[in-house]
Amino acid sequence: MFSLIEATIGGILMGGLYGFIAVSLSLIFGVAKIVNFAHGALLMVAMFFVYWILVLLKIDPYLAALLAAAFLFFFGYFFQNFFIEPILKREKETAPLTVILLTSGLMLMLENIALLLFGADYRMVKTSYTGKSWSVGGMMIIQPRMIGFLLSLILVFLLELYLRKTNLGRAIRATSQDREAARLMGIDDYRVYKIVFGIGTTMLGFAGSFLSSFYYIHPAIGEIFVLKSFVIVVLGGLGSISGALLAGIIVGVIESLGAQFMNSAMTESLIFIIFIAFLVVKPTGLLGKRRE
Amino acid sequence: MAWKRNLPYLALLIAILFPIFVRDPYFLHAAIMILFSAYLASSWNIIGGLAGQHSFGHSAFLGIGAYSSTLLLLYLNIPPFLGMILGGMIASLVSIGIGYPCFKLRGPYFALSTLAFTEIFRIVVTTTETIGGIDLRGAAGILIPLRKGNSFLNFQFADKTFYYYIILAMLFLILFIYKRMEKSRLGIFLSAIRDNEEAARSLGISATRYKMIALIVSGFFGATAGTFYAQFFLYIEPILFSSALSIEILLVAIVGGAGTLTGPLIGALMLTPVSEMTRAYLGGTYAGVQLILYGAILVAVMMFAPQGIVPPLSRRYRSLFERRA
Repeated sequence: MFSLIEATIGGILMGGLYGFIAVSLSLIFGVAKIVNFAHGALLMVAMFFVYWILVLLKIDPYLAALLAAAFLFFFGYFFQNFFIEPILKREKETAPLTVILLTSGLMLMLENIALLLFGADYRMVKTSYTGKSWSVGGMMIIQPRMIGFLLSLILVFLLELYLRKTNLGRAIRATSQDREAARLMGIDDYRVYKIVFGIGTTMLGFAGSFLSSFYYIHPAIGEIFVLKSFVIVVLGGLGSISGALLAGIIVGVIESLGAQFMNSAMTESLIFIIFIAFLVVKPTGLLGKRRE
Repeated sequence: MAWKRNLPYLALLIAILFPIFVRDPYFLHAAIMILFSAYLASSWNIIGGLAGQHSFGHSAFLGIGAYSSTLLLLYLNIPPFLGMILGGMIASLVSIGIGYPCFKLRGPYFALSTLAFTEIFRIVVTTTETIGGIDLRGAAGILIPLRKGNSFLNFQFADKTFYYYIILAMLFLILFIYKRMEKSRLGIFLSAIRDNEEAARSLGISATRYKMIALIVSGFFGATAGTFYAQFFLYIEPILFSSALSIEILLVAIVGGAGTLTGPLIGALMLTPVSEMTRAYLGGTYAGVQLILYGAILVAVMMFAPQGIVPPLSRRYRSLFERRA
């Protein structure tokens, strides 16, 4: 019983980070209708970025997060600008599929460039707080996980605030609701897409930094997160930020509780089975609004 | 006009004569790999090109075929050629199970759900050591015991030329079937569904039924490719189910031109030599270079020729011929 509570807390903390990564994917998916298969690979880029900054410049991962976020914002913005935008402008109907293949190509490139440069070794970031944990009522809570969880919640809150209170945020929401109508209101939808892609990758910069202080780093690490993130986005409901966060936490808890009863591979397939079931039975997800 | 009509026959003649003039085992191996990936991509092309449903789960069929025929061989002593057909049938049955939920979804959602399916297969096979007395050996994979000489019964040949002609015949067969399907009533329904599913449905075409037929056929041939792979390498492993392999399969078809007869073949002719060459010259230390190039090619094709290489090429040549005529 005791270990179950501990596992649940561990699952919630990890799930918060899953949710955070999924929110960034959901934003890109929901607003720009872009299926970004390279999402996990970009997370991997952020993790290596933070790793090398720590190794070479001795800058703490939580500070390096800002650098990683800025770097990934520009990467995302320009990738959207130079690669995806021409495709969206050229074709209207088949664009989603072309873009999936484009981002798959980017994923293959990023992952294998990292493999070529850094090798297939598993790396860990070493800081003063790596592996430290708090003991609350006899339960162990891993410090960097807790910090990552709290920072993720704060950043999601800030994102929500940004989307609700600023002009650009309102433009983003308007575009996600109705692209044509937003354009008629004078919103430059292609600029919105670029910014949204940039914000999404910025969040990956933060997520990568939070993860790197307690998770291993590997060129193929993104594959673990990318499919899971799509699962979470669909479970939570497309375009719903709170839904993605909630679904992330649910997936995290299923994973860590499942690990108590069956092997981790079976819990992983269980998550995919839930995913397919949701897609078929309730494609709007837990908190999603109905699509036409 | 005349030589253009005869071009396929000329290509076939060259393909048949190739092993007679090229005795170098390395080139023969590369040629077999080209034909194999053309075959595999052609089997994807039935669901992905003809029906326009970009499946990211084709490697599931490849894996099912490889594991079915191998296990049937090892446990029931069923000759692999028969195992190939049985494996194809098993894959067809599984494809109904995959198609039933996935065909309710469109575009990106369809792609994601098929990807999830093949990942489930990969995870289950990777972590299962034995099931009901059958050794799957999990991540370690299964070795097929080596037999001496050339035997159709064992589907094992010391002389690689046999494999070459078998895969050539298989490729010829699937291209023939593709062509027949394309021209049939079914093919016309499928292309209507591909171009506009709503419109096709409103005309009374049962989209799900025809897509399911395409998936069953596609799965059958994908599985036969798995048996060929198993008998050629005499080793199978759970990587056969991986989503990365699925992406490589559809890459070949899409770079060449999804939904065209020769697209997968052209794609394989372009991409497979890249992978064989990087493997030969760079070796295992730079394992990823091939995939970096694949990724770059995929990005470039999506940017500049999203329909693949074949459609713009054939358009160009057709206009050339029309002007002369």
